[in-house]
Amino acid sequence: MSKLVFALNNMRTLEELTEKDTVIHRLHPMAKMMTTFAYLIVVISFGKYDLSGLIPFAIYPVLLMALSETPYKPLLSRVLIALPFSFFAALSNIFFERTVAFQFLGMQISYGMISFSSIIFKTILTVMAVLILVSTTPVPKVAHELIKIRVPKIFVIQMMLTYRYISVLIEETSNMITAYHMRSPKQKGIVMSHMGNFAGQLLLRSFGKADRIYYAMKCRGFDGEYRFASSSSLGASDLAYIFSLIGLFVGMRFVNIGAMMGSLLGF
Amino acid sequence: MHMADALISPAVGGAMLVAATGMIGYSVSQLKDGLDEKKIPLMGVMGAFVFSAQMINFTIPVTGSSGHIGGGILLAALLGPYAGFLVITSVLIIQALFFGDGGLLALGCNIVNMGFFTCFVAYPLIFKPILKRGIHAKAITLGTMLAVVIGLQLGAFGVVTETLASGKTELPFMAFAALMQPIHLAIGLVEGMVVSTVLCFIYKFNPEILENALTGAKNGKISTKRVVVGLLLLALVAGGFLSWFASANPDGLEWAIMNVTGSPEIANQAGGSIASKTEISASGMVGGLLTLGIAGLAGLGITKLKRKKKCRN
Repeated sequence: MSKLVFALNNMRTLEELTEKDTVIHRLHPMAKMMTTFAYLIVVISFGKYDLSGLIPFAIYPVLLMALSETPYKPLLSRVLIALPFSFFAALSNIFFERTVAFQFLGMQISYGMISFSSIIFKTILTVMAVLILVSTTPVPKVAHELIKIRVPKIFVIQMMLTYRYISVLIEETSNMITAYHMRSPKQKGIVMSHMGNFAGQLLLRSFGKADRIYYAMKCRGFDGEYRFASSSSLGASDLAYIFSLIGLFVGMRFVNIGAMMGSLLGF
Repeated sequence: MHMADALISPAVGGAMLVAATGMIGYSVSQLKDGLDEKKIPLMGVMGAFVFSAQMINFTIPVTGSSGHIGGGILLAALLGPYAGFLVITSVLIIQALFFGDGGLLALGCNIVNMGFFTCFVAYPLIFKPILKRGIHAKAITLGTMLAVVIGLQLGAFGVVTETLASGKTELPFMAFAALMQPIHLAIGLVEGMVVSTVLCFIYKFNPEILENALTGAKNGKISTKRVVVGLLLLALVAGGFLSWFASANPDGLEWAIMNVTGSPEIANQAGGSIASKTEISASGMVGGLLTLGIAGLAGLGITKLKRKKKCRN
C-alpha cells in the first residue's frame, strides 16, 4: 500500500520537476539524451579496480542537480531502492579477492574492497544520471525525439500510454487494497488464495477502463496517431553542450584527474 | 531480477541492446498488419496493469516471505506474444527511467531476460501447444505453471551468464547459478499459481480475450522466429567473447604465472603490477575524493547563488 503511494508520489515529483525553467531545462531534449547516454557508456567502461578514475565523474550529477535546481532527496531515495541487487552481487568481491592492494592510514585495502566500491559507485552514478534526465525533460518531449530518430511509432505511443495509465491504475489498485484490508483487518498483504481473484478483478477493471478511454479518445478525434507540438531543432548552445560534455567525459576517461590531484598533494 | 548498469560491461550491455532492438523491430513489424487502433490503448492499460500488479506483494505460505508477479506470460496470453513483448519492454523502460530498477544500458539484458524468454520461448513452445488442444481450466493451469516456471528459470540463467560474461563481480559460476536457480524456482511456482488463477478468472468472465490472443498469435511464422533466435545467439556469443577477453586477461595471466613459477606469491605480485597499471594507489583515491569534494562545494555554491538571486527577485 505505502509502496503504491510512494510510486505514485515519485512519478508526480519527477513530473513536477520537469516544469522548472533553468539552463538545463531549456536545453534541447536530444542534447540531454545524447550526453546522458555518453555518460553511461563512459562510466560503465571503467575497469573494476579503476575507482580513482571513476570518482571525479560524480561532478556531472552534482553540477547538473545544482544547475537544474533539482532537490537531491527524492533522487537519492530512488538510488537507495536500486542499490540492493548491485550490493549483494558485489559483496562476493570482498570475499573472493583478499589480496592487499595498498595501505591507507594503517588500513589494509584489498582489491575486493576496491572493486566492491567501484560497483556501488557506478550504480549510484548511472541511476542518478538517468533520474536527472527524466527530472529535467518532460516525457512527451522524450517520446517525440524518439519518434524523430525513427523508433517505431506504435512502440513509442504504447509506452506513452502505459506511462499515463500507471497513475490511473495505481489509484485503482490502491482503492481495491484499502477495501480488501477494511474487510480483513490484522492481515498482512493479500492471502495467496485470494490473489488470483484480486488480480483478475483488477484486470477486468483495466479492460473496462481501456474501453472507456478508447471511446473518449475516439470522440476527440483519435485515429491511431499521437500528435506532438513540433519541436525546435538543436541550437548552437545545445551543440556546444553536447560537444563540451562528451569531450569532457572522454577526456576524463583517459586522464585520471583524481590521481593527478593526489600526486600534487604528495600522497 | 533486474540487472543493474554497474554489473555489466559495455560489450555485454551493447550486444544485448542490439538484440533487444532487433526483437522490438520484429515485433512491431509483426503487429503492423494485425493491429487495430483499439489495441493501442489496451496495450497501454495492460502495461500499467502489470506495473501496478508487480507492486502488490502476496504472502507466500509457510515461508513467511512475499513475492510479486513478473508479467511476461500474462501479457503474452492476453495480448499475443508480439504485443505482449512490446508491453513488457515499455514497462521495463519506465522502471529504468523513473524508478532506477535496472539501468538504461542494462535494459537490453532485462528485456531479453524478462521479455524474450517469456514471450518468444516459453509462450510459443509451452503455453500455446498445451492450450491449442482445447481451452479449459486444467489446460490453462498446466500451461501457465510450466511456461512461467521455465521462462523464469531461463531469465535467471540469463542474469547469471550476463553477470559472468561482464566480469565485474567475482561470483563463481556454479555458486551463483546454485543460488539463482532454486530461488527463482520458488518464485516461479508462486507466480505460476497466481497467473494461472488470474487467467482462469478471465476465461470464466471474458473467454474471448484468451481465445483472440491465441488465434491472433497464429500469424507468426516460425522461419522468421528462427532468424531472430539466430541473431540473438550470435549477439550473445559475440558480446560474451569480447568481454571475456577484455576482463579475463589479467586473471589468465596470473594463472599462467602461477603455473609457470609454482608460487602463488609471485602471481599475487604480478596481479599487483597489473593492477597498478590501472592506477590503484592511495594517491588516486585521495585525489579522487578531493575532486569529489570540490565538485560538491561547486554544486553547493551554485545552489546558494541561485537562491540569493531568487530572493533578490
